[in-house]
This record gives sequence, structure tokens and C-alpha cells, in this order.
Amino acid sequence: MIETFFSLGQLDTANALFMSLVTGILFGIALEQAGFGSSRRLSGVFYFKDMAVIKVMFTAMITAIICLQTALSFGWISEQALYLNPTLYKAQIIGGIIFGIGFVMGGWCPGTAAVGAASGKWDALIFLGGAVAGSALFNETYFLVQGLYAERYQHLAFIYDSLGLGREWFCLLFVAAGILIFWCMELIENKTIGKSAYLNSQFLKRFSFVLAAAGFFLFLVTRTLPVADTREVADFNGTARNIIASESSLLSSVNHAEDHMEPEELAQRIFSGSKDIVLVDIRPEDEFARFHIRTAKNIQLKDLAEQLEPYKNKGWVVLYSNGMTHPAQARDALFRIGYQNAYLLTDGLEGFVERCLKPVSLRSEPIPENLAAQINQWRRFFLTDSGPPDEFKKPVRPVQNLADMPTLIDPQLLAARVTNPDTRVIDLRSQPEYNTAHIPGAFALNIESLRGNLFGVPSCLLPAAMISQHLSLMGVRPETFVVLVYGDKVQDATLAGMALERLAHEEYTILSGGFTGWKSAGMATDTKLPDTAASSYPTESKDQFTVDYKTVLSHMNHRSALILDVRPKAYYTGEKSDEARAGHIPGAINRPFDQDTQKTGEMLEFKPIPELQTVYEKIIPEKNSPVIVHCRNGHQASQTFFVLRHLLGYSNILWYDAGWTEWAARTDLPVKIGDSP
Amino acid sequence: MKSISKPYMNPYLAGIFLGLVLTGSYLILGAGLGASSGIARVAAGLMSWIMPAHTENSIYFGAWGKNPLAYYLVFMFAGTFLGGLISAFLSGRFGFEMEKGKKSPTRKRVLLALIGGLLVGYASRLAQGCTSGQALSGGAMLLTGSFVFLVCLFAAGYAGAYFVRRQWDD
Repeated sequence: MIETFFSLGQLDTANALFMSLVTGILFGIALEQAGFGSSRRLSGVFYFKDMAVIKVMFTAMITAIICLQTALSFGWISEQALYLNPTLYKAQIIGGIIFGIGFVMGGWCPGTAAVGAASGKWDALIFLGGAVAGSALFNETYFLVQGLYAERYQHLAFIYDSLGLGREWFCLLFVAAGILIFWCMELIENKTIGKSAYLNSQFLKRFSFVLAAAGFFLFLVTRTLPVADTREVADFNGTARNIIASESSLLSSVNHAEDHMEPEELAQRIFSGSKDIVLVDIRPEDEFARFHIRTAKNIQLKDLAEQLEPYKNKGWVVLYSNGMTHPAQARDALFRIGYQNAYLLTDGLEGFVERCLKPVSLRSEPIPENLAAQINQWRRFFLTDSGPPDEFKKPVRPVQNLADMPTLIDPQLLAARVTNPDTRVIDLRSQPEYNTAHIPGAFALNIESLRGNLFGVPSCLLPAAMISQHLSLMGVRPETFVVLVYGDKVQDATLAGMALERLAHEEYTILSGGFTGWKSAGMATDTKLPDTAASSYPTESKDQFTVDYKTVLSHMNHRSALILDVRPKAYYTGEKSDEARAGHIPGAINRPFDQDTQKTGEMLEFKPIPELQTVYEKIIPEKNSPVIVHCRNGHQASQTFFVLRHLLGYSNILWYDAGWTEWAARTDLPVKIGDSP
Repeated sequence: MKSISKPYMNPYLAGIFLGLVLTGSYLILGAGLGASSGIARVAAGLMSWIMPAHTENSIYFGAWGKNPLAYYLVFMFAGTFLGGLISAFLSGRFGFEMEKGKKSPTRKRVLLALIGGLLVGYASRLAQGCTSGQALSGGAMLLTGSFVFLVCLFAAGYAGAYFVRRQWDD
């Protein structure tokens, strides 16, 4: 996978600027060689005298489409690594019309005018002067058109989706239209100026042929690659699944793991729209409601025989739960009453999530590229909870109900798990509070021990290696189920959560209501200190969400992410300031973090999820919209991060840890004062 | 100089060349080609030089910070000029000239180029890109907005062509 300067957030580095200069030089040479250093030639297209503009532009588009779509299909590059202009119909329609009029009047467009001026054309220089003035005019009258950009984060739209065509069909049609247009352009020139350099020429015939072949190639690539590797499906179909007729053959099939279906096989079967697979989730209803594998039916153990009757020995019945024991029992029970088509999902739901849905970027082992592409498709498909399989190609991919997302745990549930050696309760209250009474077995941790000065910026979350040392000394292992307990600041728990996420420790949850919740539920407390042997927690950082000011600046400039400033309002507007400068990041929206929690008596807790959902739906348009959260030093923002990422299921939340402390101190960064973003 | 100038490149080959440059730009920089942003940044640079406080506080240019010229598209624009210069010299096409129809008065051409530039400069900001950054680069990534922009651009161009045709009268 190629990383670009944009995806690395390094578009403002010296290397990137140099590469931009080189790209510009090549761009200039291409334009000049095409003859676009002449306004007469450019204008010719509007009078049907010289159609070079259309010929060059369409050839360039077709060439780039073939290269880029191939690269995307093979997974050499991802859309996320590219800066793509959002679609804003009104602005682009009005802009296109004004641009077209300006183009035909002036005889230039910005890029060609640069080349024209470089060729010594006075009219190009005058045009550029006009364009500078026009840009300034836009700035001065921005308030007039500001409404056109009202959608804070503008959506990406692809033409093939807008037209309701598949990507492959659009590509094919576009190339075909291109060839047709080229011949028409030659015919037009032949008619208007009496000669055409390429009409019926050997060159144009060969060129058309090559384009047609390339277009067909692209069609095949774009058509084949989104639907997953067909060989694997064929192989799966061809596997003779032995008919098991007796108890001994049951045992032998279990022995040979013929009663299992691998998660990848299952994912691929469902993804490709297989009708003869019956997926059965045997977990309790509430767990099913929270997340389940798409297309699964929820059937309780006692109802299995009755409800599966229609599928007896037809297709594949695949059973799953969190672990393997229950499905194995269910499968054996079904076998005994004559089902020869019941299978277990290897490693259960957890295995499915881990093997099929875990983002490639979070995996420690290398993933073959075709599997990586499949995983991305599966993620799109299985993490969307609406629509039948064939609709997955739509670009909208809301992420909801992720089962592997840590959320909140009730005191009652925690009480049942607290003695489990795989559970580690971490108490983030002050030491006197902890010493007086804590949850039995809880470890005390001062949240400030996870923060420190990073390269001059105070109060930043420490690097992964240092966090892992703290965890090791508390005997936490990667598979430990960590429960975070707060006192009067929810953000203490969420900041500890950020530390865990930096190590990709996903098995953590926050005690609902904090320690007060525990006490008011009447649960036992203790004053004994716990005891543990040290573990050795891996030190590798898996942090994909912490961003620096450069990334924030780039998103701000491109308006490519929503910036959420979660500080109290007076700090946002600039009325109050404890920092180098007052105000906020231009474009940032204010949503104070403390509005996401409520106090019932003494107990501080998150507001109900539906209530939070309603609020954030109005602020963030889509579940996968990029959002950057920040406050002064990352502490309060960690709470909003948790709300968005884990309680509400927003998938693309970034955390600007250094926050206003750094932004305000760097005087090269822009600041805005007042109520408006 | 006209007499020794080389003919233009085959437009189809020039198109392939341009398409490959665009592909390279996407794969290396992570962004397509652009020209109007460079111009707008120059405008912002000039304005923050003349009236720094006003520019810094303006909503649009203000977002670009105190040094709007430190931006990749400014460098790309400078490169485009350089590339044009190199190519024009090598092909013997460099020469100071006001391009217009022989019968058309210079004043008219100057006025049209100036107003055309003004409209294009404004419209490029409005549409968040010009023929390079929006139509070509966005179109190559199959973005809906870019195709909409391209269609409107040509429709308006052809609709307006008749009224300004005299500037090319020979």
C-alpha cells in the first residue's frame, strides 16, 4: 500500500514542496507541448476550429483513470491516501458556469495562463492579474456564498454511484465515449478548417485500438476485484462435505475439523450473496441486538430444532456464539436428530471479528494484499447493518454496533467478573479515596503518571513503550479485560482508555457511574492492596488516532475533517484564556465535553446513548466522517473521543492530544476569536 | 522566433503525458494537479502584505495562516510556470506577444483577458478548483462534483463564445 505525502500528513514538508515543484514543471511542460501556451489555440475549442483542448483533456483523464482505478482495484493505494474534492452541487454548478464564461472571454484557464505567461504572452499575464483579483474578491465577498458550504463536512460522491452505474461500467463507457469523441473532434476540424491531422490516420486507428483494449482491461479489473477472489469460492463449493451418518463418523468429522467452517470462508460466502447458507447466532437476544454477523438469525438453543426444521440437510447451517462450547453442543445435538449440514464457526464470533473484520492497519502480522482487499470489503459489508448484500457497493458505509468496541459495564456485571484473574480493575481516583475504600482487587493508578512532556509539549499521553511498562507492573496482559473506574472525572477513565488504545488493547470498559455507581449499587468494597506478578506487555504502538498540529492544519485547510473543540464555551470564544493565545482553531465547532455527562445525586455518568446520538447526528453528518477532537491538553477530548468512537460508533475519530496548549503557542497557526466557527 | 518554432506535440500523446503526470501526482503527493489555488495563495500573500490584520481576520484567507505561500500548490504553480518556460524555449515558441485577432483592438483584448481572469479567479474559489484541480484531477478520480463542474464549464463556454468571438477576428 502506497503512503502519500497527504496520507502521512506531510504535504507541508520540504520534500513534498520539492516534489510539488517537480510535478508542476512536468505539468507545465505537458501543457506547453500540447500547445496550451496559446490562447488562440485554447479558444479554438469554443469555435470548433481547434479541438486540441478536448483531445488532450479526455486522453489525460482516460489515462489517469486507467492507472488510478487499476491501482485502487489492486489495493496499491487506498482512497483514504488521496485528497479528493468533496462534491458540492450548487457551488460547482455556479462555479462551472462563471468559469466557462471567464474562460471563453479571457482565452485562458489558470494552469494554461501560467504556461502562456511563461511563453511571453501579455494577455496571459493580464489574465493572471485578473485571477489574483478574482481570488481576492472571493475572499472579500465570502459571506455571500458561505451558505453553499453549510454542510460542515462535505461528502465525497463518485460519478458512477451518482449515475447508478457500477464502477466498471462507468469506466468502460467513459473510455468508449472518449474514442468516439476523438473521432468526432477530427471530423469537426476536417469540416471547419478543411483539414484534420489525424482523421483516418494510422495513428488514430492504433490509438483507438489501444484505448479500447485498455478500457476493456480496466473493465475486467474493476469488475473482478471488488467481488472477492472467485477461486476461493469455487474451491469452497467444490469441497465435498462428507455426509456423516453415525456417531463414530461424527467423532471422526470432529476430529478432522470437518464440522467447522473457517471465518474467512463464511465471510466470503455471505459476502458473495450465497443463498444456501443459514447462519445462526445462539447468543442471548440482547447480545444479538448489539451486534451480529450480517444475515444471521438469532435462535436460542431450546428453539433450534424447531426453527431450523426447514433447513434440515439443505445448504449449510452455521452456528456461532462468543466461544465454541455452546455451538459445539448445539451442533452435536442437531447431528443426533439427523442434521448432517450443521457446522460451527471456527473461533466463534470473536474469531470472526478478529480474523475478518479487524482493520488491516491494526494487525501485527503481515497480510497478503488480496486478503487485505477482501478484509476491507468485508468490513464495509459486515459493519453496515442495512441493505441486502448486493447493495454494499454504495459509498455510504455507516459503522454501527461493533461488538468488539469497549463500552460501559454495570456494577452488577462487574461484580460477577471481579474475581476473574483475567479481569483487572484500575481505579483512577485520588490515593486517599482509594485507600479508604475500593473495589476488591482494584489497582490504583494516578492518571498523571500516563502523561508527560513530549518534545516540549506538556501533558501529552506517553509513548506506547512507557504505557506498556505501567501495564506490565500491574500484571496486565494483552488479553486482560480491563475495567476503568473514575471518581468525579469521567475523563480520567477515558484518558486511561486512550492509553490502552495506543497499545490496541481493545478489551477495556468503563464502570458505569464510576466508583459512586459501584457504591450506590450496594456492592462490596475493600481496603486491601492487590497482589500480582509483573507481566511483559508488548511495547509496540498501534496508535492510528493521535494527530499532530500539521494534520489538523491540513484538515483545516482542506476542510476535510470536522474539528470539535470540546473546551468550555468561554475558552472557545476567547473570553477566557489560560494559554498563549485565546480563541479557537478556525472552522472548529464547540461542543463542551461536560454536556455529554449528567449528575444524578452524587453520581456522574454518561447521558443516555439515544440522547447523545440525537445531539451528534446534528453535528456529524455520517458515521465515517473524519472528526478531530481536541481540548486544552487531550484530557477532556478523550471523553468526547470515547463517546463518539465507542458509545456512538463513529469510525473515524482523531485525537489532537497536544491541543490548544500547542496550537495557541505556535504563532504560525491561525486562530479565530468569537462565537462562529 | 515564430519561424523556427517546432510544431505542437500530438495532442493524444500530450494527453497521455499529462495523464501520467496526474497519476504520479496522486500516487506521490496524494493530491491531484492544481493551479488556481496557487493563484489564490498569491492573492492572499499580497493581501496579507498590504493589510495583514484584515487578511488574518477574514474568514477565507484567514484560514491559511500568516504565510499562505508555504503551500504545496504554490510550489506546483511555480513549477508549472518554470515547465512552461523550459518547454517554450526548447521548442522555440517563446516570444513577447499579445495574442488576439489582427482586426481586434488591443484594448478590447486586454479588457476581456482581465475580466475573464477575474471571473475565473472567483469561480475557481467558488467551485474549489479550476480546470486542473477540479475538472481534470477530480474527473480522473471519478468525482461527481468534478463532472458537474466540467459540464457546466463547457456549456457556459459555448453559450458565451458567440459574444466574444470578435476578439479573434483576423
